[in-house]
Amino acid sequence: MLALKICPGITGFLARQSRQGIILVSGTNGKTTTNNMLAQIMKKAGHRVVVNYEGANLITGVATALIKAADFKGKLEGDYSILEVDEAALPRVAQEVRPRMVVLTNFFRDQLDRYGEIDKTIAMLCNALSKLPETSLILNADDPLVAQFEKKTGLPVVYYGLGKHEKVITTSSGVKEAKFCPLCGTKLTYAYYHYGQIGSYHCTGCGFTRPQPRVEGFQVKTGNKTANCFVCCHKGVVSLNLPVYGLYNLYNALAALTAGLNLNISLTAIISALQNYTPVIGRMERYNFQGKPVFLNLVKNPAGFNEGLAALLETREKSDVFFAINDLDADGKDISWLWDVDFEKLADKEKYFNIFVCTGTRGEEMALRLKYANLPVSKIKICPVQKRAVKEVLSGTGKTAFLLTTYTALWPTEKFLAKIAQKERIYEAERVPSVS
Amino acid sequence: MKLNVCHLYPDLLNLYGDRGNVMAFKQRCSWRGIKINLFEVNLGEKINFKEMDFLFLGGGSDREQNLIAADLTQRTSDLKEAIEDGLVVLAICGGYQLLGKYYRTLDGKIIPGLELLDFYTEAGLKRLIGNIIIEVVLEDSIIQVVGFENHAGRTFLGHIYPLGRVLSGYGNNGKDNKEGVRYKNVFCSYLHGPLLPKNPMLTDYLIATALKRRGWSDKLDFLDDSLEIAAQKVMLKRLLK
Repeated sequence: MLALKICPGITGFLARQSRQGIILVSGTNGKTTTNNMLAQIMKKAGHRVVVNYEGANLITGVATALIKAADFKGKLEGDYSILEVDEAALPRVAQEVRPRMVVLTNFFRDQLDRYGEIDKTIAMLCNALSKLPETSLILNADDPLVAQFEKKTGLPVVYYGLGKHEKVITTSSGVKEAKFCPLCGTKLTYAYYHYGQIGSYHCTGCGFTRPQPRVEGFQVKTGNKTANCFVCCHKGVVSLNLPVYGLYNLYNALAALTAGLNLNISLTAIISALQNYTPVIGRMERYNFQGKPVFLNLVKNPAGFNEGLAALLETREKSDVFFAINDLDADGKDISWLWDVDFEKLADKEKYFNIFVCTGTRGEEMALRLKYANLPVSKIKICPVQKRAVKEVLSGTGKTAFLLTTYTALWPTEKFLAKIAQKERIYEAERVPSVS
Repeated sequence: MKLNVCHLYPDLLNLYGDRGNVMAFKQRCSWRGIKINLFEVNLGEKINFKEMDFLFLGGGSDREQNLIAADLTQRTSDLKEAIEDGLVVLAICGGYQLLGKYYRTLDGKIIPGLELLDFYTEAGLKRLIGNIIIEVVLEDSIIQVVGFENHAGRTFLGHIYPLGRVLSGYGNNGKDNKEGVRYKNVFCSYLHGPLLPKNPMLTDYLIATALKRRGWSDKLDFLDDSLEIAAQKVMLKRLLK
């Protein structure tokens, strides 16, 4: 990035011109979606918004977005800059742009070979944010690794979270992070889990407990194509119907909603923007191939992959599955995290799946992982050429096809898919009107 | 046939998919009709090492490793006895370092190890990260073993044999071409990946060794390892041209 070398302060210079301020969205999973949801909320409310694009969330990507939005004199026309920032890049970006607000989604292990251990990343982040007294935080109350930021930074905080619902889990088998209190090291006790370490936790050592969220979702329902809950906040109780799948998208929506409320957008306007949300590429994006629904989803770490598998496990019809695993720099060169994903759950419902097509530079490893998860080898197929692998899964006899890919495999898959299948708009009929 | 498998501190030492090693050991036994009793042992929980046939110790982050060091110290003499008696142990990365004399941090602090094996580890500035291939000599064969290493510690061996020699990658310290440690039936290595699933010959060697100790010296039943070999070949082809 030439501009960054010539003028190292350019990011801060440009971003600070946003009249109403800069909002940064970070965390391991959901930052792209949350950022886009918040941008759509702000745009709908009539504000001019500068956003960065998918994946452009390191310091160079943030600078690029701002430079693109500026005119030739370096003047930026925008009310808000809403930027997703990689958690490892956040300390530097935050220091340069001095954000009005930072939204944190969750923390899971992600591409460890690039960033070292998650504890270190979090410690650096806490340290950087604690030096920005004018910043406020929007935090996920259900993730102890996120909620610790209130104590560690001393900044003003607003929490969002999901309450207990029918599908909560009471065993801890999926927890890989934060089994221990981030403040004192005692083992955390949980009333329930939503997934991973996300849930209702309490520390018997120092009393660190899931804070009562200011904005809380309850009566969660997730279907094949939608996710619904009621939202309770100081403005009242409303129903939220998202046109996208998954519990994790409810979290993203609650984060964006909480941020929106704190930027003085009305609850009705926020709900309406969220109900019309169009997913970004590779976030359970929906296609139609000769009448068959096809879903494309990005996976980049165990928590995200498990959420992707949850969509597969929702179906009550036969489906065909495609996994594309690359090990390039942007994917993370170490693919051992595949062994932390709970593919064993697929084996429990093995009869619903016709075939698992494995491709990508490490498709063989993916196939091996499935074998050791007890899936029948006869259903596992290695197909090194990615295009052929896409064709293979689409021509399967199942009623649905699921394509899950790592970062660098996403774009070629998407490009090819767009050629042979139709990208679907969300059906109006699938939306339920809100009661606000 | 029945084998007792002990996964030590699965809650704490669970970095980089290392649980895949236990999965591989377990599956390759059960596919052959060998029963597995799995004991997952956490901080403070009781376990009799002498009754175990295979013990797995994975890697953790610094904080996690400090938490277990205290717990493991109390078990040292039991573990030592079991090791001398031929217990099959696989220790990866942080678990490997713990069995040695000490770990010296960058600022010179000495963190004592269990002193079970004759080696020590020093922190280095740059982490040694990447795909790795080593050559391991087993009783009657020489095999190539693939994995992924990611460690800041540099391990130097005293009067003790390495597990193998480095064909591509860093190994113990990036200098002397040695990787891991082999002592009696203890196998230590920096290889994540995880190690056992895509190196089935090593896994089977561990299983056969554990069975032999219990008086079973029959040859292991044949398994179709096409997928294992395919996954291994990807890395052999990429790194050993």
